[in-house]
Amino acid sequence: MDLFLQQLSNGLVIGSTYAVVAVGFALAFTVLRVIQFAHPDVFMIGMFSGMMAACIVPGGGLAVALIGGAVGSTAIGAVIERMVVAPLRGRDVLTTLIATLGVSIILQNGMAAIIGPDPIPYPRLLPTQFYEIGPVLLTLRQMFCLGLCAVLLSLASFYVRGTHIGRATRAIAERPDVAAAFGVDVSRVCRITFWLASTMAGLAAVAVGTLYGSASAFVGLLYGLKAFVCMLVAGNRYFEAVIAVALALGILEALVTGYVSSSLRDAVAFFVLIGVLYLRPDGLFGSYTT
Amino acid sequence: MSALLHIEGLAVSYGSVPAVDGVSLEIEPGELRVILGANGAGKTTIIKTIMGLLKPQRGTIRFDGEHDLLRLRPHQIHRLGIAWVPEGRQLWNTMTVLDNLRMGAFEVPDENAVNRRIGEMFERFPRLAERRHQLAGSLSGGEQQMVAIARALVSSPRLLLMDEPSLGLAPIVVRDVFMLAQEINRLGIAVLMVEQNARQSLKVAHSAYLLELGRVVEAGPAAEIAGKKSVQEVFLGGTA
Repeated sequence: MDLFLQQLSNGLVIGSTYAVVAVGFALAFTVLRVIQFAHPDVFMIGMFSGMMAACIVPGGGLAVALIGGAVGSTAIGAVIERMVVAPLRGRDVLTTLIATLGVSIILQNGMAAIIGPDPIPYPRLLPTQFYEIGPVLLTLRQMFCLGLCAVLLSLASFYVRGTHIGRATRAIAERPDVAAAFGVDVSRVCRITFWLASTMAGLAAVAVGTLYGSASAFVGLLYGLKAFVCMLVAGNRYFEAVIAVALALGILEALVTGYVSSSLRDAVAFFVLIGVLYLRPDGLFGSYTT
Repeated sequence: MSALLHIEGLAVSYGSVPAVDGVSLEIEPGELRVILGANGAGKTTIIKTIMGLLKPQRGTIRFDGEHDLLRLRPHQIHRLGIAWVPEGRQLWNTMTVLDNLRMGAFEVPDENAVNRRIGEMFERFPRLAERRHQLAGSLSGGEQQMVAIARALVSSPRLLLMDEPSLGLAPIVVRDVFMLAQEINRLGIAVLMVEQNARQSLKVAHSAYLLELGRVVEAGPAAEIAGKKSVQEVFLGGTA
């Protein structure tokens, strides 16, 4: 039972980070009809720009790293939006998929050319500290990661459900033409949404780097695929469904690690994907049609 | 007085298939004008082109004498005071009735003004007031059409484009929709309607165009068009 609760908590932490990346994917896909394959690499850039900020600013701690992460990821996200996504909007989904995949390859290998292909140690932005909560043992880093992701997801949810522009994102997701004809500047809303998704990814990336204590140019590969799986499994109609599936995936992986074998962990997501798509091709909670 | 909307030599095609082939038409301020045409005559294409959602190959569209609509994007066209009741309603089905109406006045910065306009709509359509927190997709066809019309009116437009408002509705509701179009028009809002239901729409319209295969083949006052042999054969023959 203790192992179960422990793995449940570990899974929740990892799941919350998947959720932030997956929600970024989902926002880009539902609002812009773009599969932003470079999104996980925007996350990766955020991880490194946060690291750089913490290293070059004297006495720079966690706060500086977070700002650096947010600035770096938002900047790269804005460049991708301006140069790749906006010019291709309205084209076939495959066109932007291939274009952003190209960007992804450039970012990964560009970063690998700078820092090398192997993971490098991440600055220790938080002390090694443990907290016992009943039978569960959590590190300060885990708690910070979970807390930050929870805040980011709540803000994203507030943006989509509670704000004027957020309402427009839902309107665009369901009927882009009608939204435009009712006064929504679709390009502007798409741009803002893209930036926000990138900012979120950068912030979460700093927490993830701190959590694992290492950063790699290729961190986006597996992260991105898993987040992408979360979006496909949930379907893109309900934003909250993507979060729920991401948390569930994190927990499932932790349980497999705890009870079966850690080498099977990364396969879980893809087993789930195949199973769900076989039974419900629109995802568990339904999708907007394109 | 110059026309509110003036279309000259409009040609629109989908790929190499022409949908609208050299159409010229106008609508005066305060007028209710109907474009009659069968399926595939190009009616919806004209409406979508006015709204800026389709780009024509040739032609000009001017609003209020001075605005060249072809240079504007859809949200800018809406801002000039042109509102759209799309074919098949096209509500945001996953949003509430209230949110649908709010989206109708998306660019109006004054929250109080928007709420006042929505309040007026709820007064005019009490059924919608009852259902304001229901998802638009859960309403009946007639109720959805009311939402579509109310959504277009929230922004206080000068020109209302109605694309086959009678499509898919029960006959008794169809009559209500045409009465409503007339009522809106009497408030001073110009209405350009495209329809297949010639009998009902000609009763409320001032004047009409007959569209065939992307060209205007007849134009004139509604009563005159209703008397044309071609119209009677195509649209009025025997059906109620």
